[in-house]
Amino acid sequence: MAEMVKLFVNGQEVEVESGKNLIDAVSAVGIEIPHLCYHPALGADGNCRMCLVGIEDGRPPLVPACKTPAAEGMKVQLDAEHIKKIQRDVMELELINHPTDCPICDQAGECSLQDYYMKYDGQESRMTVPQVKKGKKLDFGCGVVHDQERCVVCGRCVRFTREITKTGELGIVNRTDAARVNIFPGQPLNNRYALNVVDLCPVGAMTSTDFRFKQRVWFLSKEKGICHGCSKGCNIFIDHNREKYKDEVIYRFRPRLNEEVNGYFICDEGRMTYKWENDQRLITPRANGSEAIKSAAVDSLRNAISQASKAVFLVSPSSSLEQQFAVKAFAEQAGATVLGFSDGYIKAGDGDDYLIQDDKAANRAGLALLGIDATREAFEAAMAEADLLVSFDNALGCSYDQDGLAKVLGSCTLAVIATNSDSLSEQATIAIPTASYSEYSGSIINCDNILQAFARAVVKNDPPEDIVEIVNRLGGELENNQQVWAALKKAVPTLAEVEPEQIPEQGLALTS
Amino acid sequence: MEVKLLSARFDIEDGHKIEVAKKNGAYATLDKLFAMEPGEVIEEVKASGLRGRGGAGFPTGLKWSFLPKGLDKPVYLAVNSDESEPATFKDRYILVKDPHMLIEGIIICCYAINSHDTYIYIRGEYVSQAKALQAAIDEAYAAGYLGEKVAGHDFRLDVTVHRGAGAYVCGEETALLESIEGKKGQPRSKPPFPAVEGLYGCPTIINNVQSIGSLPFILTNGADAYKAHGTEKSPGTHLFGISGLVEKPGMYELPLGLPLMEVIEKVAGGVKGGKKLKGVIPGGSSTPVLLPEEAATTTLDYESMAEHKTMFGSGGIVVLDEDVDIVKLVKNLIDFYHHESCGQCTPCREGLGWMLKIVKKIINGDGTMDDVNLLRELCDNIEMKTVCVLSAACTMPVRSYLDKFRHEFEAYVQ
Repeated sequence: MAEMVKLFVNGQEVEVESGKNLIDAVSAVGIEIPHLCYHPALGADGNCRMCLVGIEDGRPPLVPACKTPAAEGMKVQLDAEHIKKIQRDVMELELINHPTDCPICDQAGECSLQDYYMKYDGQESRMTVPQVKKGKKLDFGCGVVHDQERCVVCGRCVRFTREITKTGELGIVNRTDAARVNIFPGQPLNNRYALNVVDLCPVGAMTSTDFRFKQRVWFLSKEKGICHGCSKGCNIFIDHNREKYKDEVIYRFRPRLNEEVNGYFICDEGRMTYKWENDQRLITPRANGSEAIKSAAVDSLRNAISQASKAVFLVSPSSSLEQQFAVKAFAEQAGATVLGFSDGYIKAGDGDDYLIQDDKAANRAGLALLGIDATREAFEAAMAEADLLVSFDNALGCSYDQDGLAKVLGSCTLAVIATNSDSLSEQATIAIPTASYSEYSGSIINCDNILQAFARAVVKNDPPEDIVEIVNRLGGELENNQQVWAALKKAVPTLAEVEPEQIPEQGLALTS
Repeated sequence: MEVKLLSARFDIEDGHKIEVAKKNGAYATLDKLFAMEPGEVIEEVKASGLRGRGGAGFPTGLKWSFLPKGLDKPVYLAVNSDESEPATFKDRYILVKDPHMLIEGIIICCYAINSHDTYIYIRGEYVSQAKALQAAIDEAYAAGYLGEKVAGHDFRLDVTVHRGAGAYVCGEETALLESIEGKKGQPRSKPPFPAVEGLYGCPTIINNVQSIGSLPFILTNGADAYKAHGTEKSPGTHLFGISGLVEKPGMYELPLGLPLMEVIEKVAGGVKGGKKLKGVIPGGSSTPVLLPEEAATTTLDYESMAEHKTMFGSGGIVVLDEDVDIVKLVKNLIDFYHHESCGQCTPCREGLGWMLKIVKKIINGDGTMDDVNLLRELCDNIEMKTVCVLSAACTMPVRSYLDKFRHEFEAYVQ
């Protein structure tokens, strides 16, 4: 527990963490100090001057809050007239050369400049002379488009490429009001985290080619989620919307702070995995190799399992712990072999020492915890004798080439329960669409053995069923996540004390 | 009226050459120096009352005593030779005419503060001055006054000349340090102050050329000899650059405390062509202007300037005659500071450009009273809201012109 100090904000006594800068310290007790350039992940720069506060009896009496540590007895003035005037004056100066093109700006609705104008400024423009002209829609690479006129030169993006990715593609060139963010000629952004500059930008100067002009942000619902793009399990916001007469569409993922997992950022590849939630989804169920209604497909699979002499249930290393356990329990009940072979998810050497992992599976640790064998040997040995393979959303196609897949499948009947349509689902005799991770609740264990829970973010018009529900329809005894957890706690000692409803926001580090 | 303590060797032929300078007393004080304790040197400088000659006038000895004790980090000396303030042209004389006085001063300072590495930051436009300085440093190395054993004593001292790239803001001490470190010249937030965390994160003393140049006289002749000139609170002499509309513009070494008008009349020959005086800029372009009646009661020292709500600054006196168009002068002034704004802080970056456009609009005849009022209001809105004082260097004088010559602005908008 950090040491606490008592200080006064506008005369009101508050207890805050000692040593933290004033912005962070007092925001923890719900008091906002406006700021543009400061970002907790990038430290204080002190250039925007929006966070100037008065310190009563202090020397100097006027300080940037971002560079001032909270100290015992400090008397911070935020609502004093002279401080309000400074905020108004600085806002005016921020805006004189700003295009104020909010109606066509993607940032509108989540723009600090807009919000601060409403809160701290609100005056009419006194700018009667021509504005400074700068570059528009500059392609900075990695899907980032820059508008120098909207930019407030806070340098967050520049500091991000210097301090976080250490690639340094961005810089501020020129002095005075000609100062602007730019890349070196012919050297665009070239790192796997570049799109974070779009989130970091407090205004609409950095936009994403992928997202811009698709949605006004105030129409988006913003749900908490966890990226399933690799085994890191970065925390995200899932921003989605159902337009009139249409189905739910996810428009973007954004990073969500979790100090224990991903900090403030996510990688670009993970960010783009939202597309798989929308596109190439397996929509049409199949039974006996042709289109069928869902119940027919489920019936068909139930029969196939009961008639099979040797069935292999192949679970996905990205499925939730609940789903993996439900399949495993069902396999034991149905006399099938449960395996988790998924070597194709691992891209050796692709990871880095920051967030990106080699293993593109979100919950491989879950397989290990449940004792599900994921070796190639076990899978191929089982397949040699099997007459039915049921893939529970395992993208087996990425673990084999075409010939290899044909060889391992042999004459075995193939059934898939899948979120997305791929070469495996296309050749399956039975195919049942299932919910993807934005559409169900569950929990996963990341590469650092941190258990994280996530809730259903999106409900489609015709919501596909979660694997737990499908397994139950196929004859599994566990009906839902609650029942799964009751069984899980008994079966897995590590989870015996875990209350699924009480897994903390930042996750739960599993000890054994 | 002139008193030549610092400029004593300026008129000697080849006085910049080491053998000539030595014949005339250069480096003569070093044996005395090394016989003293560093603390005694600091005390002597404190006793002399020498105040920083870069513009702020902070007591030099006191500045040195802010260095933290018992650190295992090196201490650096950075000599500020950026001399970029318009109307200031004093340090350049030292660099060219008596560079060995500066080097001797550096040795004294470094011994006092226990520093072994000095950077002289010289403005990029000073090409011939940088060459002259480097030549003198080379001579000093060859003669054994710099290098492993300074004048045979067990004291290493290396001096590096670092040329700037032409930015006024690099005269601000922390922007200067950034620039030496190879970064964009932008002032740092303080604290930490350079004496604690300066160049490369190490304790650093930054002194103006003239401040350092004053040290050999003080050490040779003692603090009292220095204090014999000037006033009690502003002792010593200063190299004044007198320019503008006077008969005899130039650099003059004068004791502090002389009446401003007497200096203009007697030293600089009075207003050019016998015209009427309109105003006096007392210490470089960033100091608030004095009206003739104010100038009449002003003396050339820090205290009198403060009483008249202006600053001693860098001693760059500019005389304005009755024909000077104050509005156009203000346009030039803002143009300069706008151009030199480093672009870091919002108020300075955006505000000075706005002020420039407003004053141009007024000059073009498109201005209104609202514009004049806005210009005046912006001075208050921008000043002291920034990391460094560059914006204040613009708004302080502009405010003074607007307040004292408002009728000239009004004439443009009527």
